Amino acid sequence: MAAADGGWAAACEKFRSARTLSAVESRKDPETEPYRSKYGARALLQEVKQQLSAAEDCGEARLLAVRRAVLEYELGVNHTDTEELSAGEEHLQRCTQLLEPHRLSRDCVSLYIQAQNNLGILWSERDEIKTAQTYLESAEALYNQYMKEDGNPPLDPSEHFMSEEEKLTDQERSKRFEKAYTHTLYYLAQVYQHLEMIEKAAQYCHTTLKRQLEYCGYCPVEWALNAATLSQYYLSKQCFMESRHCLAAASVIFSQAGQVPSTEDSETEQDQQDLRQRKAEIARCWIKYCLNLLESARKLLEDNIGELDPDRQLELKAQRKKEEDEKENGRKKAVLFGTSDICDSVLAMEEKVSSVYPLDFQEAREIFLVGQNYVQEAKEFFQVDGYVTDHIEIVQDHSALFKVLAFFEEDYERRCKMHKRRIDMLEPIYADLNPQYYLLISRQLQFELADTYYEMMDLKVALGNRLEELDSHTVKKINSLAQLAIKYYELFLDSLRNPDKVFPEELEEDVLRPAMVAKFHIARLYGKLITSDSKKQLENMQMSLEYYTFLVDYCEKHPDAVRAVETELELSKEMVGLLPTRMERLRAKLCPFI
Amino acid sequence: YSFSVEGDAIKVYVRVRPPSEGTALTDGDQGLCLSVLSSNTIRLHSKPEPKIFTFDYVANMETTQESVFSSVAKSIVESCMNGYNGTIFAYGQTGSGKTFTMMGPSDSDNFTHSLRGVIPRSFEYLFFLIEREKEKAGSGKSFLCKCSFIEIYNEQIFDLLDSASAGLFLREHIKKGVFVDGAVEQVLSSAAEAYQVLTMGWRNRRVASTSMNRESSRSHAVFTITVESMEKNNDIVNIRSSLLNLVDLAGSERQKDTHTEGLRLKEAGNINRSLSCLGQVITALVDVGNGKQRHICYRDSKLTFLLRDSLGGNAKTCIIANVHPGSRCFGETLSTLNFAQRAKLIKNKAVVNEDTQGNVS
Repeated sequence: MAAADGGWAAACEKFRSARTLSAVESRKDPETEPYRSKYGARALLQEVKQQLSAAEDCGEARLLAVRRAVLEYELGVNHTDTEELSAGEEHLQRCTQLLEPHRLSRDCVSLYIQAQNNLGILWSERDEIKTAQTYLESAEALYNQYMKEDGNPPLDPSEHFMSEEEKLTDQERSKRFEKAYTHTLYYLAQVYQHLEMIEKAAQYCHTTLKRQLEYCGYCPVEWALNAATLSQYYLSKQCFMESRHCLAAASVIFSQAGQVPSTEDSETEQDQQDLRQRKAEIARCWIKYCLNLLESARKLLEDNIGELDPDRQLELKAQRKKEEDEKENGRKKAVLFGTSDICDSVLAMEEKVSSVYPLDFQEAREIFLVGQNYVQEAKEFFQVDGYVTDHIEIVQDHSALFKVLAFFEEDYERRCKMHKRRIDMLEPIYADLNPQYYLLISRQLQFELADTYYEMMDLKVALGNRLEELDSHTVKKINSLAQLAIKYYELFLDSLRNPDKVFPEELEEDVLRPAMVAKFHIARLYGKLITSDSKKQLENMQMSLEYYTFLVDYCEKHPDAVRAVETELELSKEMVGLLPTRMERLRAKLCPFI
Repeated sequence: YSFSVEGDAIKVYVRVRPPSEGTALTDGDQGLCLSVLSSNTIRLHSKPEPKIFTFDYVANMETTQESVFSSVAKSIVESCMNGYNGTIFAYGQTGSGKTFTMMGPSDSDNFTHSLRGVIPRSFEYLFFLIEREKEKAGSGKSFLCKCSFIEIYNEQIFDLLDSASAGLFLREHIKKGVFVDGAVEQVLSSAAEAYQVLTMGWRNRRVASTSMNRESSRSHAVFTITVESMEKNNDIVNIRSSLLNLVDLAGSERQKDTHTEGLRLKEAGNINRSLSCLGQVITALVDVGNGKQRHICYRDSKLTFLLRDSLGGNAKTCIIANVHPGSRCFGETLSTLNFAQRAKLIKNKAVVNEDTQGNVS
């Protein structure tokens, strides 16, 4: 018996060495022999396994079966780690077979779940995602059944090769068991994503994040980035409350990152740099939050010509008041992150910005200002020197924030000034940008500048219409804004030309609508130019006609394009019908005697 | 309106290597998992139904190095001379013939070898074209060629021309686009010199052997040649510059981090740390969102960032997908062909990199 005990102690020792080799040493393996320690661990496990089969007839069949299952599990993981899937599968299958009768018992449940997790991974590596799903869902079900029927902290698989005095505390057991289950959920999140069950995948991501917080198994920076990214998923679903909660939690958890002293060597310059970048990334998620909230509100409030509809505004305000009382109930407990003190900080963070649609200028402005602050924060890191694309994207968002705020502004003069701010931020960047490398952004800027000038011109025209008579200053202003809009639309259209400067016969799908809209707007702009010189006016009308005609001709040649520009096409056709007559009349006035 | 990439699709070439000695005998029934049907179709003997793939060009086992070069790389080198950026990728499982296709037979002086690969041939052709241009234009036109060679390993960038250098950073310049900050640039005056620089750097790459694979490159290597031409015409100086990127991707079985991976799940590390790919899952969820305004954290991998121009940007790009026909390689071959199929959907818009610098007088 003593000899057997000695043998057992040796087996435990080997098992422990194998685990250390596999988990710790293998990280230090040279790049040329990445699996050296894993192969070493495998040899040790095989030895223990042989030793166990030699001890076959010493009774205690159940104990033996469980120990064997542990070895099969370790061998299975080892083989899959070293890219030998088939062998890995055999070991893992043997493990689950051995455990099948005992899978709901305290000493087996955790191992069984982990074996199923690994079978899930293995089958997904073979692109058999459905098979993976069955293993993982059954692991999930087993966890739930165990928690319902028993719920005591189960043994950790490694304990089967430990002496009595080494065994874990209940607290540690519970922690490891919960971690294994978190992994199940994390794998399921991936499975659902691959199966394109998007909502379910998001829900599992969310639960995984929540459990990481609960069981303290997270790296703050990574967690924060995940939560911030998840907020963007909720944004695309218009779930602003959930989105805000994720972002607030991201900001709170991120602020812990700086406080935790780095475990490895002292923080390098690069780590600091990384941390600053992450912070800026989260700020950018906040910008998008503010922007989406404002833009969604605008969609609710705008009338059929895109202006603020005051009746709709009153209606929505009344509706909101009614809903406010029920608001608290709408806050689903299940989505909340964190335990009490984290939760308090998250709630405090949330209070800084609304998650309901702003319905008037004042409310819109508050959200705008929060967004603008994050713009400044993000720009501190993403400077144009070194981060061209990111920097410009942030500036574009800033411009978009102004654009949507202007919608809520009733005073046209002030609204015009907001658009001027957009011009001031976009124009210098555009001037510097090399379209050789940034063609797409360059086009976006051309188009946005053109649109902004176009909008400003419209506002000036509206202001002018309120006057008894247009003064020369206003006329000059309107004309110069229109010319600038034309200039940028033309630049955009020029960017579509091929190297021989020829405009394409057929436009690519991606630029079809922008190109047609540019043509259409140019046509309208020529129509808006004000001049007392009739000859000049005639020329402008001629230009206008040409651009309208382009639209009509193009759609005739490419009927597929009609769908993209239905309204514009209809108006163009009308103008192509009207303009020649008007021009005729003007000509007649010009030379009445011919 | 938001509009995105457009233009020429990336060209995709598939090359089938001959089975290695002995495989055909042991595997029985020819041991092949595919057959080449024509110069642009390939049939994979999958079960229950065989699967047909169509590409821009399929090179069978008999295709010569010269013919691969002519159909794949020649036009890219030519457009590089005309001011376009060009990129050639090699993709495939370890042992599928990537190195043979790109470099030539291993352990020999590939530069003169009759079986030399796409890269040495591209160098020769590039410098041949430069010389021809120079002769044609006389003293009015001059060229400057520079190269750099970097490696991306574990999302870190190393300079293969300066083995002492630590990790480098990718940065963007508003005029010059994406660049590797601090990478050594070497001036080239001939094809032989270019090849010398390449082989020197190639030796510094990280490789690893496992019991499954004899040798697998674990990193992506990017060799970049910048061709700058200056032409004086009366008082106008015309400068064109273009890049030629030659990219050797890590063995495809090692690409778990570059989105090329099919359906595999990401494992949680054994180490008591994080579930680091949860972010990727979430990113994917957001990606399929409906064109709404959003920002996605951790988006670019270093490789896609560096080659952003080549993947849906201003460049002419082709991918050479190498496959091994052995039935044992069925899984890897299928995933390579699937990858190549997806790559066909990427579109590029090529723009001449021309910058007319004002008249001097």
